Amino acid sequence: MQDVAVLGVGLHRFGKTGDDVVGNKSVTELCRHAVDKALEDAGVSWRQIEAVAAASSRFSGGKGWGLNGNDVVEDIGSTGIPVFNMSAGCAAGGNAFNVGYSLVAGGMYDLVLVVGGEVMPKGMIQTSGVEEATDPEFLRQRCIGFPGPSFWATLARRRMHDYGTTEEQFASVTVKARKCSVGNPYARFQKEITLADVLASPYVSNPLRLFEICPVSNGAAAAVICSKRKAREFTKKPVWVASSAVATLTFEDSLPRGLAGPVPSGPSFHTEVKGAVTRAFERAGIGPKDVSFTELQDNTCYYELAFPEEWGLCEPGESERLVAAGETTPTGRMPINPSGGFVSFGEATTAMGVFQIAEVTWQLRGQSGARQVPGAKVGLAQTNGLGGNATAAILKR
Amino acid sequence: MVESSQPCVPGLFAADGGARVLGSRCTACGTPYFPKAASCHNPKCPGSKMEPCEFGGRGKVWSYSVADFPPPPPHKHDKPFKPYAIAVVDLDSGLRLVGQMVDPPSAMSVGAAVELVVDTLYHEEGKAFTTWKFKLA
Ligand SMILES: [Zn+2]
Repeated sequence: MQDVAVLGVGLHRFGKTGDDVVGNKSVTELCRHAVDKALEDAGVSWRQIEAVAAASSRFSGGKGWGLNGNDVVEDIGSTGIPVFNMSAGCAAGGNAFNVGYSLVAGGMYDLVLVVGGEVMPKGMIQTSGVEEATDPEFLRQRCIGFPGPSFWATLARRRMHDYGTTEEQFASVTVKARKCSVGNPYARFQKEITLADVLASPYVSNPLRLFEICPVSNGAAAAVICSKRKAREFTKKPVWVASSAVATLTFEDSLPRGLAGPVPSGPSFHTEVKGAVTRAFERAGIGPKDVSFTELQDNTCYYELAFPEEWGLCEPGESERLVAAGETTPTGRMPINPSGGFVSFGEATTAMGVFQIAEVTWQLRGQSGARQVPGAKVGLAQTNGLGGNATAAILKR
Repeated sequence: MVESSQPCVPGLFAADGGARVLGSRCTACGTPYFPKAASCHNPKCPGSKMEPCEFGGRGKVWSYSVADFPPPPPHKHDKPFKPYAIAVVDLDSGLRLVGQMVDPPSAMSVGAAVELVVDTLYHEEGKAFTTWKFKLA
């Protein structure tokens, strides 16, 4: 194993089809911008890239099934390098980062590009495309009608039961997230929002409201990663990958992902996420208390409360108090999503895991401006996606 | 006049003689499955032995949510759309089962006792299409 560094990162600002930011740009155009920025940031030329790990999806464009790394390589210049296309739902970006990391750590390549990008279809994500009784997702949507936001709302409702969380407390997480996004040039939403605004937004799935759930966005993210040897050629102060881990859910997982499962004997939570984060901590030799800040997948504000507790960043049932005390802001004791998170960016599925790497890198370099976590030394990034996939990466300076 | 009805997907549940979903259970480790599984998914199972098993009767609401907007296809619903509650229910028989509620969202609470029923999901071409749901007990 050799040490791996993040040499350069780049984003295309997130937006909505037809707006002034992303207009009608294709996923390849969005990615090209992000890749150009990452190469420029790294001081690397395209011809020096030895391999590409791309986060692939079925949502848009390219070769019929979404972002395809081959399209990006063709567009920027066909140098003949290997392209690995990774599919893992919303965890695809994190997955691609892990594969890129593994290729470098394992000594196969010294300079690798990781890229993710998306042009999303409008509205609620349609999770099943086939009318087949053998597809559990088809059965779930036809026989019940259980869209993604209702999955999140079920977990949020259970938290209200377990810890007495109020709708105002959920809303206050969005207020904090949107405050972080002010001045973040890459966020889709860059304006503050009040508690009253959030509570006045309609329920998408009671108890979760429109402003508490991330919309779908178009956007792209890229990162250039390299071996320690290579890093020395380009910079004196690289950002290091302390660990990168991937996990899937375990048999004990009892969240309502399908139609049914066994009644569990213990608590119900995202086992794939805990698996990835735990492995990332173990491999890095870094504990939850050493983390300066976290970029986690907040498809909804519920996760900003639940995940830190499940990973040991704080005690069970403590999150509401920490949010109220401002401890999850960039200047607090447990900063969560200083970027503004998914709630401020919207989700461009395959870009998200790489977007987090970009934000964590900027934070560790001290380049995050108004949302900077003072003295950030260690950053944790986490994604999870359909199919029970999760990823975690820990970066340090 | 009784309207003719048929299951929205055949072979998954039955109504005559009490509502139940048609699943399976591994007799080696006791794990319940719905829909039926070809083999046991429990990595600690000493050896998969699957038998058909029906699940019905009563249970408790583990949690619930509300579909405030119509879900995208392949879901089907009558118009105008009426928001409904979706319950995740721990059945006394050991199966955690997801299903729509017959009762309105305002009647719901975590921990409420419910029972499995078969009820209409949507109408098409003059027929009622049914699914399994829960009703407050
Ligand atoms: Zn078994």
